[in-house]
Amino acid sequence: MQRARREQLQTGLMLAPSVLLLGLFVLVPLCVVFAYSFALRDPYGAVLPGFTLDNYKELIQGVYLQIFLNSFSLAAMTTGLCLLIGYPVAYYIAFKAGRAAPALLLLLLIPFWINFLIRISAWVVLLGRGGLINQGLLASGLTQLPIGMLGTVGATLVGMVYAFLPVTVFPIYAALTPLDRRLLEAGADLGAGPGETFWRITLPLSLPGVLAAALFVFVPSMGVFAIPVLLGGGKEIILGNLIVQLFLEFRNIPAGSAVSILLLVFSGFGILLYMRALRRVEAMK
Amino acid sequence: MTARTGTPGWAMRNLVYGVSGWVTLLTYLFMLLPIAVLIGFAFNAGKSTVVWTGFSLRWFQKVVGNGNILDALQVSLFVALASAALSTAIGAVAAVAITRRSFPGRDLLAAALAAPLVLPEIVLGVALLVFMSFAGVTLGYATMIVGHVLVSIPFATLIVRAAASSLDPRLENAAADLGADEWQTFRMVTLPQLMPAILTAFILSATLSFDNLVMSTFTSGVGTTTLPLRIYSMLKLGITPEINALGALMVLANVTILLLVMGRYLPLMLKTNRQ
Repeated sequence: MQRARREQLQTGLMLAPSVLLLGLFVLVPLCVVFAYSFALRDPYGAVLPGFTLDNYKELIQGVYLQIFLNSFSLAAMTTGLCLLIGYPVAYYIAFKAGRAAPALLLLLLIPFWINFLIRISAWVVLLGRGGLINQGLLASGLTQLPIGMLGTVGATLVGMVYAFLPVTVFPIYAALTPLDRRLLEAGADLGAGPGETFWRITLPLSLPGVLAAALFVFVPSMGVFAIPVLLGGGKEIILGNLIVQLFLEFRNIPAGSAVSILLLVFSGFGILLYMRALRRVEAMK
Repeated sequence: MTARTGTPGWAMRNLVYGVSGWVTLLTYLFMLLPIAVLIGFAFNAGKSTVVWTGFSLRWFQKVVGNGNILDALQVSLFVALASAALSTAIGAVAAVAITRRSFPGRDLLAAALAAPLVLPEIVLGVALLVFMSFAGVTLGYATMIVGHVLVSIPFATLIVRAAASSLDPRLENAAADLGADEWQTFRMVTLPQLMPAILTAFILSATLSFDNLVMSTFTSGVGTTTLPLRIYSMLKLGITPEINALGALMVLANVTILLLVMGRYLPLMLKTNRQ
């Protein structure tokens, strides 16, 4: 009896720090943001108590709607490209690389562990008017004049893929490696061609990894703000830039809170979709 | 794998394998070449980051003599070590409780600890900023350390959880049978087995903190500008080889740490990833 009590007390003590951390610094702050998203604001930026839906109504207006569409399409394109490139890479490391696999994984970690701003700055230099890519194009005679690549959506997209590709490869690789090779061989023995084996065995079994990768790329890329500024020239504003501007430049806390809540809701929606898709994939097995 | 040479299946497989090989090669070039170019131009004598004018170490000298960068480095190191220590301690204790104890709401806590991984970091940062100003707390080291703990705690918890769940309970039972009390068992049997995971969690947490821009943007105060914040403001003004030199130094530091420590624990990390 006493022992059980003591154990309970111990467990409580072990849990206290994490519960306190999450409660005080995640849950309560999110509630404050939620409350502020309905608040009013005086002309000097102070939050006034009250209740209004204006902060949300503003979000459906043209400018904000455009920003939202920009963010969504950038995140969707980034996710799509990362999966398209990341899957073959994970496949190669899992099935083809053999003894080189650990080295390949380590190489993939290296850019992941270099400050991402510095990695992005490398692309600012490469894509610039006098940069190496333009130098190469001019030297090869493919173009007569340097191409203005910096400050375009394409440049932003290159930076996004560059930043998120390692995050994509790992979950897919992790889903592919434990695949039972005997299953694949059985497929082949039963007369399935390699294409069929891939479509009907490998791909479905690795879908949980693909879904996890998609989630890990999509959610953070909705909130990115540095890459569009540095590579896209800040021309196309996305949700991340908007939140930074509203909070740190315009000091419009109620509007910023509303945008944050919207981003949170969309991420939650993404997570729900992920879990539903995962359940469906698992039911298929 | 019985498709024979010359059959259509063989051609198809070569195509699939070939494509994955080519994509992999191009991807590694795409990932690593920019870093190579960046490091190369750190040694450029001129002010240009695109036209090579000769070899020089002047940009490295400039970085080492730049007070702003050194201050930011100090702030970054302090925040990284402090937040990693906190995050690892809180995360490890929670991880052990989640794998070893039964209590109401266990799954909920496990999910909540992983939540910052899938919630947009920018929203967590904004929420912390709003809450701190609501509570009248001045932004500074404390707020930034709390923010960085939130960013790294999912990883710390997951890594230690994976290690704790693969422990053999018979070892602990044996220790108890041999007369060790609870604390002795934990200190001399459980903890040593968890040490590699705890160390991995610490290093990963410190690295995430050292690299962090988003959370720092919202939680840093006067005098607590971290290195990424400093680099970001330098980049917005334009790029000089000083950035390249700084990047080269960071690459060197990171790769050294990576090879020294992570090389040893990479198998363990991959095991964690798989779960």
